[in-house]
Amino acid sequence: MARRQTRLPVVFLLMLASLAVLGVADEPLSHDIRPGYGVTDVRWLSDYFQPLRDTAGDTPVYILEGEQSGGVFLLLGGTHANEIAGIMAATLVVERGVVMRGTVIVIPHANNSAAKQNSGTYNANTPQWFELTTARGEVRRFHYGDRRTQPEDQQPDPDTFVHFPSGIEFAGDEARNLNRNHPGKPDGTLTQQISYALFQLAESENVDIVVDMHESSLTSSLAYTLVCHPRALVVGAFAILDLELGGISLKQEESRQEYYGLSHREFGDRTDALAFLIESPNPGQEGGEQAPDVINDPRAPLSTRVHLQLTTVQAILSNHGLLEGSGDSIALSFPFDLEELVGADLGAYLR
Amino acid sequence: MKRRLGWMLIVLLFVSAGAAVGQEAEEAAAPETFAAPVVIVSVGQSAGAQQARVLAIRAGLDYVFEQRPEFSILEGSQTLILVMGASSKGLGAAGVDIDGEIAWAIDMVARARELEMKVIAMHIEGGARRGSTSDQIIHAIAPLADYIVVKGATPGVEWVESEEADANADGLFSTIAAENEIGITYIAKTLDGVEVLMDLFEIEPTE
Ligand SMILES: [Zn+2]
Repeated sequence: MARRQTRLPVVFLLMLASLAVLGVADEPLSHDIRPGYGVTDVRWLSDYFQPLRDTAGDTPVYILEGEQSGGVFLLLGGTHANEIAGIMAATLVVERGVVMRGTVIVIPHANNSAAKQNSGTYNANTPQWFELTTARGEVRRFHYGDRRTQPEDQQPDPDTFVHFPSGIEFAGDEARNLNRNHPGKPDGTLTQQISYALFQLAESENVDIVVDMHESSLTSSLAYTLVCHPRALVVGAFAILDLELGGISLKQEESRQEYYGLSHREFGDRTDALAFLIESPNPGQEGGEQAPDVINDPRAPLSTRVHLQLTTVQAILSNHGLLEGSGDSIALSFPFDLEELVGADLGAYLR
Repeated sequence: MKRRLGWMLIVLLFVSAGAAVGQEAEEAAAPETFAAPVVIVSVGQSAGAQQARVLAIRAGLDYVFEQRPEFSILEGSQTLILVMGASSKGLGAAGVDIDGEIAWAIDMVARARELEMKVIAMHIEGGARRGSTSDQIIHAIAPLADYIVVKGATPGVEWVESEEADANADGLFSTIAAENEIGITYIAKTLDGVEVLMDLFEIEPTE
C-alpha cells in the first residue's frame, strides 16, 4: 500500500513531464533580446533551410546592414549554450551595435535546442538562469543552457557518432554537439540540420568572415585562444598583435586538417569566409568549482569575457579591412567605449 | 614617509638606468647584423610563425614565408629565421610529430650552413607557448642559432607584463644563450619584434 502511494505521484509527474516535452519540442525557445537601432531586419534560421521551421533548432537571425556597402560578417553565439560570454556578446551587438559599413549577421543562439536546459555537462552546480540588471534597475533573465542539443529533440545517440561527410568517428553524444556536426546534412539529425542551415546562410549571404564565440574552463589550455583557419592566419596574427598592445594576450592556434566538424575548419574549407573561433574562460566550466559564479567571479567576470570576445571581433574586422581593402571592410561600433566593459556591470550596457 | 619613497624611486631609477647602460654595452660589444632576403619557417607548427611574418611585413623585411618548405627555398637567401613553438593539442586532435619536426629543422639549419646563411631562432608567443613539446624544440633548435629573439624577461629586470607572456621566467633562453655564446634580445610585447628585426637587419624607417 505504501508502495503504491509513492508510485502514483511518480507516474503522474512522468506524464506531466512528457506532456511538457511534447508541448514545447516543436517550437524554438524564445529569449529576452531587445534589438536596437542597428538591427535592420530579423529573420529565422529556417528562412535559409525550411525544414528547420517549427523545430527546437530554429533560431532568430539579426541583420545589421550598414549604409555603406562592404563585406558580410557572421557572428555566432551559443553554439554551446553554456558558454554564455559568446551569447551575451552577440546579444550586446544586437541591442547596441551600429554598423556603418558592410553587413553584420548575428545569431546569439546558434544551437537553440541546447539553450533550453542545462544538464551541467562540466559542472552540476551551474544555474538554469542568470540575471543581469539594466541601468534602469530592471532585472533581465537569460538561459544558461547546455553544451549539446537536448536529447528529446533528437533521435537517441548512436554508440559512435560518425561525422558527415568525413566519416571520422566521435563518442555517441557528440552527435548532439553542433561544433562537431559542420557542415551538416539536410536530411540528417536536428543538429546536422542546424549546421546545414548555417552553411546555407553563409553561402547565400556571401559571408566573408565567420566568428564562432566559445568559452572553456579557466584552467584549460584553450582559454584565451583565437583559432584561425589557415586562410585566416594572417588576419588573425595582425589582430593578435593589436590586441596585445591593448593589454589582451591571446594564443593563436591554427585550425588543423583533422578538426573535422568544427566551425573554424569547415566554414573555412567549404565557404569563401575567413573562419575564426574565440575562447574566453568561464568559471562554470571548471569541474571542481563548488559554487561557480558565472557572472561575477573576479578571475573572469562575464563583462570582461564579453569585452574579450568583442575586442577580438573588432581587431579581426579592422585588420580584415586593412588587408582586404575597403570594398570588403566591415565597420561595427558601439555607443560606448568597449574598454568600459572590463569588470563592469554588464546589465548596464543592455537595453 | 613620502620623502623616503621619493628617495627609493630615485635609487630605483639609477639602478634601472645602470641596467639599461649595461645592456647597451653588451649589445655594442657584439654588433650582430643580418642580411636579407630572409626565409621564415615554423618549427612545431604553432601560429608564432604567422606572427613573425607580420613582424617582417611591418619591419619592411624582404622575406619569404612557408610553414614547412622544401630545403630548396633557401637558395638565394641570406638568413633563415626559425620560429619555435608547438601547436597545442586539446582542440580534439593529436599534436604534431615533434621528433619529425625537430629532425627536419636540424637538416634545414645544416643546409642553411652549407649555403653560408645565418640563422635566427625566435620564440615570440610568450610563456603560453612553453611546455614539454615546445621546450623539446627550444632545447634542440635555439643552440644552433646565431641569434635568439624571445618574448620574455631580461634577467635581472622586472617583468611588468602578464606572467603567461614571459617565456623566460625560468631563464631557459638566457641559459641557452650564455652557454652557447649566442646573442639574444628580450622583448616584452610580440610587436616589439618589429624594431628588433629593423635593428638586426639595419632597416631604416621609411617615414
Ligand atoms: Zn564551445
